[in-house]
Amino acid sequence: MTKIKDSNEPWKGGMAKNITFIVTKDCQLACKYCYLVGKNVKERMPWEVAKTFIDYVLDHETDPDFAYESVVWDFIGGEPFLEIELIDKICDYIKTELFRRNHHWFNSYRFSFSTNGINYHEKAVQDFIKKNREHLSIGITIDGTEKKHDLNRVYKITEKGSYKDVVKNIPLWLEQFPFGGTKVTISSADIPYITESVLHLYGLGIHEVNINVVFEDVWQEGDDLKFEEQLMQLADAIIDGGYYQDYSCSFFSELIGKPMDPERDNQNWCGAGKMLSVDAAGNLYPCTRFAQYSLRDKDAWIIGNIKDGIDKNKIRSFLTLDRVTQSPQKCLECEVASGCAWCQGENYDAAQTHTVFQRATAICLMHKARVRANNYYWNKLYRKLELEDLREQYEANKREVKPEIC
Amino acid sequence: MLQYLVIILDDTSVAYCHADNPLEERNLMPLETLKKGILFGMKQNLMIQYVFPDYALPEEYASIIESIDNVKIYPIGKKPDTGLNDESEADVEVAMDIPENVDAQNLVLRLSFSEMLKQKDEIVKLFAQGKRINLCITDVEQFADEQIEAYKQVLNEWNTALLDLYKQGQSPQFNLLTDRMMLEKMHNCEAGVSNITLAPNGKFYLCPAFYYDERMQVFNQMNHHQPSSDNSVGDLEKGLDIPNPQLLKLNYAPLCRKCDAYQCRRCLWLNRKLTWDLNTPSHQQCVMAHIERNASRDLLNDIRKVGEFMPEINIKEIDYLDPFDVRKEF
Ligand code: SF4
Ligand code: SF4
Ligand code: SF4
Repeated sequence: MTKIKDSNEPWKGGMAKNITFIVTKDCQLACKYCYLVGKNVKERMPWEVAKTFIDYVLDHETDPDFAYESVVWDFIGGEPFLEIELIDKICDYIKTELFRRNHHWFNSYRFSFSTNGINYHEKAVQDFIKKNREHLSIGITIDGTEKKHDLNRVYKITEKGSYKDVVKNIPLWLEQFPFGGTKVTISSADIPYITESVLHLYGLGIHEVNINVVFEDVWQEGDDLKFEEQLMQLADAIIDGGYYQDYSCSFFSELIGKPMDPERDNQNWCGAGKMLSVDAAGNLYPCTRFAQYSLRDKDAWIIGNIKDGIDKNKIRSFLTLDRVTQSPQKCLECEVASGCAWCQGENYDAAQTHTVFQRATAICLMHKARVRANNYYWNKLYRKLELEDLREQYEANKREVKPEIC
Repeated sequence: MLQYLVIILDDTSVAYCHADNPLEERNLMPLETLKKGILFGMKQNLMIQYVFPDYALPEEYASIIESIDNVKIYPIGKKPDTGLNDESEADVEVAMDIPENVDAQNLVLRLSFSEMLKQKDEIVKLFAQGKRINLCITDVEQFADEQIEAYKQVLNEWNTALLDLYKQGQSPQFNLLTDRMMLEKMHNCEAGVSNITLAPNGKFYLCPAFYYDERMQVFNQMNHHQPSSDNSVGDLEKGLDIPNPQLLKLNYAPLCRKCDAYQCRRCLWLNRKLTWDLNTPSHQQCVMAHIERNASRDLLNDIRKVGEFMPEINIKEIDYLDPFDVRKEF
């Protein structure tokens, strides 16, 4: 008799395989910074594609590519909740199959969503949440104040801002996911709103704000100095307002801004190649950023399809990538290199040749500005804590903000 | 450092490496282009290697071709007549079948894997002719793990034949088996690094295969920022302009830089075709090169049983065929 796996097995998220369904390329919004250049309403994933894909993945349980202890099933779009019925069916099928196959991912899986939050309250979405509560993580994207949010996150055609429709769902979401975090993406025009936006999100009850500048080459001259100024204002507000105790903002981290050792610190930043994405046509990608709808200049990097499986030659470069080989000399010699991120998809898209080995450094000045403000933040915070005799206590209890690896 | 300039004299010039030449219509390099190409080679201090088609070139080409020291690569039995009789030791004849007679000191034998297996005994006969034999497999991309044993076996049989020749005091040269025994570091194709190719259109390419691909519109992705982009890496007017040149170098190839299959071609063209990244080899290429490496090790050990041979060379025993599989420990 096959043994039924212990349902109390811990979640081993650190060693999780990340598997993404691009369920639809449609979205209610047309965000101005959206990297999905080829969004459209036609490409919705048929059930047969989803099922064949799941079978493929689960049939390869022992393959080194899938030998991770846990799995995160990610659903993205467009807006994934537009396809809630399909998603519900997919998740039911995954659960049944994991059980039926006595698969090692049974009870070691997560369903993960990044949503614009607009139809979060609808019955179908809520029913799904109730059914899968224990295995869910959902992030709602809200960019900050109404003004900042509506600057970018507007409805298609009408171009009306979406803030009000999203914010009304935040209390329900936080009730269901009290530790829910939000992702904020900063582009050139957003810089003046950073401080007020982060404080606004804290005010809404969101404790974790993950914030990134875009990797694309969108920056104007002087943006770095404006950015630094905003971050210093934010540092003051967080420290003076005492937010540092219970809230986090990923801009500030003690791990960033240090030189990196070419041998010890040679890992690749991004997880492309270790992840796997499938689109509506059943094509497989090393990460969604390599699907055609996310690329400006290059052809999609398709690594296989659900019928023939993965062509392993097509993921070899991702799995042998390291920091030093892809970085220009300036990054190898950089005094503040740690925490300076890249996106493999953007690297590929911006590269001069067909390669993932040419690191794009459009964020260079922005990272340096962030490092200066970050140094200011920690110097100021620690001095304050020392004067209050609270430093030891803070250090013992502090939440470690890990740099977010995509 | 660049050392060689390969000049493809005609679109139908003989293919001498992994890629077949699919171009069937003659398109001779204009004389002016040829002159400029030679001048480029002289100024850059490059050794010129001409690649000939199977027909005799117009007379006026002969003196231009011979205006500089050169190496000739030509179809078997079609030795170019340029009026001079100073053939180079490095001249290469290229055959697609077992030749009856080899004129030049070097033979490139281009065969598919299955053809190679079929002709294995005929190939043995070539070893004793005192020429350098380069066997080039033309369908590396089709090589499947199921063929590993067959490849091991044929190399093993050839080892026996080579060993006999060594015992007789000869020094046969056969790229797949004897090169690795002599090498202390990587010795690869180095397209774009030590050699560059000039096509009849006056443009530079990493190697002829990239020119064929461009002409056949196979993989038009060298540079997406220019809509009319092609595979070329410069031309005679503006000079060489290789995008991301560092990625052609061994140091920028995470697997190859640590590998000791020193005889491997490390074919950039196959890399791009199969993995889409010039610096990343395919499973097929690595496995085949490692089978050859291991067979060379066996041959070296066998020769040493007979007498001292290349004492400074040490090929260690390994338990993988694809460095990718051991990349974490690598
Ligand atoms: S992009 Fe700029 S800041 Fe980042 S590591 Fe390179 S040199 Fe340093
Ligand atoms: S065997 Fe593979 S890793 Fe080694 S040199 Fe050849 S292509 Fe590179
Ligand atoms: S890259 Fe080198 S080994 Fe490959 S086909 Fe071209 S010349 Fe031959």
